[in-house]
Amino acid sequence: MLTPRPALLRTLQTLPREGRDTLFLLAVIAWVLLPQAASLPLWCSLGAGAVLLWRGALAFKARPLPRKRWLVVLLLLTVAATFATHRTLLGREAGVTLLVVLLTLKTLELRARRDAFVVFFLGFFCILSNFFHSQSLPTALSMVIGLLGLLTALVNAHMPVGRPPLAQAARTAGAMALLGAPIMVVLFMLFPRMAPLWGMSTDPATGRSGLSARMEVGTMATLALDDSVALRIRFEGQPPPQREMYFRGPVLSGFDGRQWLPLRDSLPQRHALPANLQVSGDAVRYEVTQEPTQRPWLFVMEAAVQAPELPGQRLFMQGDLQWVTGTALTDAVRYQVTSYPAFTHGPVQRALGLLEYVDLPPGYNPRTLALAAEIRRDARYARAGTAALVQVALERLRLGGYTYTLEPGVYGRDTADEFWFDRKEGFCEHIASSFVILMRALDVPARIVTGYQGGERNPVDGVWTVRQSDAHAWAEVWQAGRGWVRVDPTSAVAPGRTGAAQRLVAPRGAVAQAFGNLSPNLAAQLRATWEAVNNAWSQWVLGYTQRQQFKLLKDIGFDTPGWQDLTRLLLGAVVLASLAGGGWALWERAQHDPWLRLLGRARRRLARAGIDSTPATAPRELARRVQEKFGPEGQALQDWLVQLERQRYAPGSLEAPGRPAGLGPLRRQFRQLRWPA
Amino acid sequence: MAAFVFPFNPVPRLRRRMARWFESRLPCTDSITLTQRTVYILPTRPGLMLLLTLLVLLVASINFQLNLGYLLTFLLAGTALVGMHVCHGTLRGLALNLIAPSPQHAGASAAFDIQLTNARRSARHAIGLSLLEAPPGQARHWSWTDVPAQGASVVQVAFTPLQRGLHRLPTLTAETRFPLGTFRVWTVWRPAAQVMVYPAPEPSPPPLPPGQPLAQGVGAAGPAQAGGEFDGVRAYRRGDALRSVLWKKAAKADDDRGLVVRDALPAQRHELWLDMRQAGAAGWEHKLSRLCAWVLQADRLGLRYGLRLPGLEIAPGSGEAHKRRCLEALATC
Repeated sequence: MLTPRPALLRTLQTLPREGRDTLFLLAVIAWVLLPQAASLPLWCSLGAGAVLLWRGALAFKARPLPRKRWLVVLLLLTVAATFATHRTLLGREAGVTLLVVLLTLKTLELRARRDAFVVFFLGFFCILSNFFHSQSLPTALSMVIGLLGLLTALVNAHMPVGRPPLAQAARTAGAMALLGAPIMVVLFMLFPRMAPLWGMSTDPATGRSGLSARMEVGTMATLALDDSVALRIRFEGQPPPQREMYFRGPVLSGFDGRQWLPLRDSLPQRHALPANLQVSGDAVRYEVTQEPTQRPWLFVMEAAVQAPELPGQRLFMQGDLQWVTGTALTDAVRYQVTSYPAFTHGPVQRALGLLEYVDLPPGYNPRTLALAAEIRRDARYARAGTAALVQVALERLRLGGYTYTLEPGVYGRDTADEFWFDRKEGFCEHIASSFVILMRALDVPARIVTGYQGGERNPVDGVWTVRQSDAHAWAEVWQAGRGWVRVDPTSAVAPGRTGAAQRLVAPRGAVAQAFGNLSPNLAAQLRATWEAVNNAWSQWVLGYTQRQQFKLLKDIGFDTPGWQDLTRLLLGAVVLASLAGGGWALWERAQHDPWLRLLGRARRRLARAGIDSTPATAPRELARRVQEKFGPEGQALQDWLVQLERQRYAPGSLEAPGRPAGLGPLRRQFRQLRWPA
Repeated sequence: MAAFVFPFNPVPRLRRRMARWFESRLPCTDSITLTQRTVYILPTRPGLMLLLTLLVLLVASINFQLNLGYLLTFLLAGTALVGMHVCHGTLRGLALNLIAPSPQHAGASAAFDIQLTNARRSARHAIGLSLLEAPPGQARHWSWTDVPAQGASVVQVAFTPLQRGLHRLPTLTAETRFPLGTFRVWTVWRPAAQVMVYPAPEPSPPPLPPGQPLAQGVGAAGPAQAGGEFDGVRAYRRGDALRSVLWKKAAKADDDRGLVVRDALPAQRHELWLDMRQAGAAGWEHKLSRLCAWVLQADRLGLRYGLRLPGLEIAPGSGEAHKRRCLEALATC
């Protein structure tokens, strides 16, 4: 069998310098672009890959570069394609696409030194654009590699002599980055954090996955496949039982037949239902780190009376108990909350506003309406209250052969009908939606609450992790005298869902399965460690905000820290560093060879004794002059001078074998020398 | 519309005067160890571009609230700052030594050597040397070198002396942009050494003037005659008459030194005098350049020759030292 690999390697090693440097730079660019290839338009990713490969082939075969007019044509085409894709050339997404286009096309024009610089600087921007999509630890590590690669190429471009090995440039670049790291840390900690300088239009379509403001049957099931972290909770003291961990998100009360939406204000303001939240019992205090959602929601465990502590944001609680901020949370945020698992809320008396919670669109789910009418016809339930009707529905769910599944198939037009009568299987959203529709058909005010339920404790650092796969939909029904009461119909179908946090697991790949089968404990252990590292990363790096900065200042001793103090500290650091640099320069200018310094001291002392010498006079010659001037009286001094010379020039001579005295002993002897008068 | 041109533009003149004043302040020395005082640093155009890049990265990090963006920006800024020190350190502490230049001919491209000595424990990369002022109409030519750790390397700098005479070497400059190209670090060095510049030899000079018959009683004794031997002996050259070959010597010679012929132009009968008055060219410099060509030619032929210039006469002689004396006389007269 032929093995083309060694031949290829040999060619790579013998490539002329220019070809080698270009291939290296292309590899670095590919490394930087690869992580964001998936989020670019398809034509852009494919085109960038093709151009890089083409350029690599040209470099490999030392062929000439394409003419300028072809580049202009390509540039115009790609800019037009960018405009066609994004309908603009401004904005973040279009900007990133243009950036990638420019960077890859510029590699086809690497002629002068200036071109190379343009490629490097565009490369730095491309590294940054990766962070739009992910700021995770792996992304950071891979971009550090990318940055080192770019710096290596930059250093290599400034070594014009011969064909220096790339490793040498890499060493220089690495050392510089390492020395620059303390500067980075100081700047990162002290540079005043500020709000965006001007409003950035964040495209809602680019929002991360997570709960949305509407619920169509099927949306939660897609979230169930998403293993990414939504919240991290650190409890102060004992955490509540898992079945009580309901993290409240948007409340959906309007139903148009297809999807659930937040309630529109159809009734006048005075009929809007007040929250009327009453809490009792023990409080649970905890800290939430919430991943960016691009939404203004805080996921607070039910129910919190006081606003979560999130500095810099105006928080308020809506009538449906959801805590929201004034602006969308594009960042990870951290806040402290006190929740009371025992609470009541909502109007105690029947109010006009409740009418909206029994509203159903006409013409949908006729069989569910018929079922409700049938229940009402039953003498037992004709005048029954909410509690009895809920029991009827839950009974039906429990005993009617309904199952909880991740793949319920595609539902048609009348989702509740299909769930109650045909398929009899569904995910939490199907169950909750069908349950609320039945309740409303029974004239019981009911609504859907979305959020997260449960979580998982990381044994490594004790932090609870709530994932997107923990997204949940449950129901609230109104009961006279009590207000809104939480009913989780899913737990009637699958009691394990809320109690023991059993999750439906999507089928895994063969490798993952094999690994999981081989050692489920090890896999869990690894995962827990990884989560802990990741948590530390997002707490210390991604979550490092103005609040942390001010806390740091407070710890240092500033009473009322402000950004002015940060600036002052930063300036102080700059002054200190400059002073240190000046001191270093002074020290460097002074003679700092310890041997020469000692000799200088001896010469100055000898000059006072009347023996003049020049810097070029050897110690042996000095010894001779001492002998001439003082005779045997200066014997000790002579010996010392000869020792000094041996220390430097004859560390193992024939006439006096053995190691000569070190500089330290010589210095001591010099101090103890008895000088002839 | 034609561009408005100042009849008298003071800026370049002022610049030249500043540069000259600056240059005249520098001490002349043949070996220099660069220190903080003699090494200058300024950002380059790519350096300013990097600054702009950093600002844009910072604004992007602020606007999109990217903490990793801050980290990237600050790491890059820190690296560039370290790069500035590395760049300055590449020249600082470097010792430059001029290796005494050999005499040159005017107008011919010549080179002199400079030894760069690095006492520190790490290598210094990408140091370029060049003349401070490029010859008019040409770009500066840089000679690049790396200096190994605790070692030395030698760089050749080319220059073209235009005028004969004893000249100071042109002012030199050493520069580096290593490692990031964002800063230019340079020094200016005035070597003290002087270089002798001979006149440019005439490209196709007329034949040597005929020898003059030896004047009676004037130093008739040549070295060959003193030995009582042949007039002169030299190696065979193509075109020599066969009868002038010393066959006996050729037969005796057991090595391959080749044939030896009796010298056809015995020095004791004719003396070759290269005289300014005989160099029938127009113009002083032209005459000198012809004499220079003759001296070189006579030396190549192994002749004895003397040089007569107004107010100076060099007695006939031959050999390297004699040639040098003659050429120096031509250079400085």
